[in-house]
Amino acid sequence: MPLYRSLPRSGLDFPLVELRDELDRLWTSLTAAPPLHGWGVRPASDVFPAVNIGESDDCITIEAELPGLDAGDIDIAVNGEELVLKGARPETQTPAAPAKPDAGAGHGNGERQASVTWHRRERGTGSFERRLMLPTGVDASRVEAKLVDGVLTITCPKAPERQPHKVAVRAG
Amino acid sequence: MVPTFHSAAQPAAPARPDQSVESSQPTAAPCLVYQPNVDVCDCGAEVMLVADMPGAKADSMNVSFEDGVLAVFAQVPQRPLQGRQIGQEYGIGDYRRSFRLGEGFDASQISAEYRRGVLTIHVPRLAAVRPRKIEVRSA
Repeated sequence: MPLYRSLPRSGLDFPLVELRDELDRLWTSLTAAPPLHGWGVRPASDVFPAVNIGESDDCITIEAELPGLDAGDIDIAVNGEELVLKGARPETQTPAAPAKPDAGAGHGNGERQASVTWHRRERGTGSFERRLMLPTGVDASRVEAKLVDGVLTITCPKAPERQPHKVAVRAG
Repeated sequence: MVPTFHSAAQPAAPARPDQSVESSQPTAAPCLVYQPNVDVCDCGAEVMLVADMPGAKADSMNVSFEDGVLAVFAQVPQRPLQGRQIGQEYGIGDYRRSFRLGEGFDASQISAEYRRGVLTIHVPRLAAVRPRKIEVRSA
């Protein structure tokens, strides 16, 4: 929404008019932007995994980035309009010594573990659970999921009664 | 000597998303570039880097080691969702990050593997600079 009403004239005679219009454009682009990039971004630690959701006439598509997981590590349950995504991400395996299951307690730069020194540990590990409320009921028996290159895509066909019904118009 | 590992030519890495926007090609439309989350492990004989880079393809990755700087770049194809997008919690873009490892590494033996959205890079040390345990004999 523009902050001010634009004046009809602009140019060298009215340099502030162009500046004002530019600020208007910037403000509009900020307020119209999706709440992801830049301001208002949700901290990455708040939820895991983050998801993108798309909706078409006949299905809802959910995408989540889950690098390092096998398909067998992920549990997906659909009940009505709720989708539950569960799983666990393993510790990073070092070539010198396999990581211990309880090694996550002391993350931090410079952590020493036997002959291994961690200089950075930015990748999160451990179990996660995310419950998503879908915008409409889906046919749980036809939900499909695939995991390719660490990207999980769940396709949830809408329940037949929730799909738009096209009405044929007969000529009288 | 304990080497220090820090991002080269980049500020301290925040957790993804990075929100840094840059143009990959001067003539192309601007695209998002993210810093992947990375684990860096010094195992004595080698340094191992593990980077989360979901959605990338192995054939579109570029890993280079020059003047002690290990640089990773991966081009990620866009993957639009079916229909209209009604929720967005993360963005999709290329990955770029570099680390200054210093000297004493065998560039010819660096290996990288991409699996399940995770890039693992092994940077072996030169045999002359590997840590060696000295056995103390009793007199």
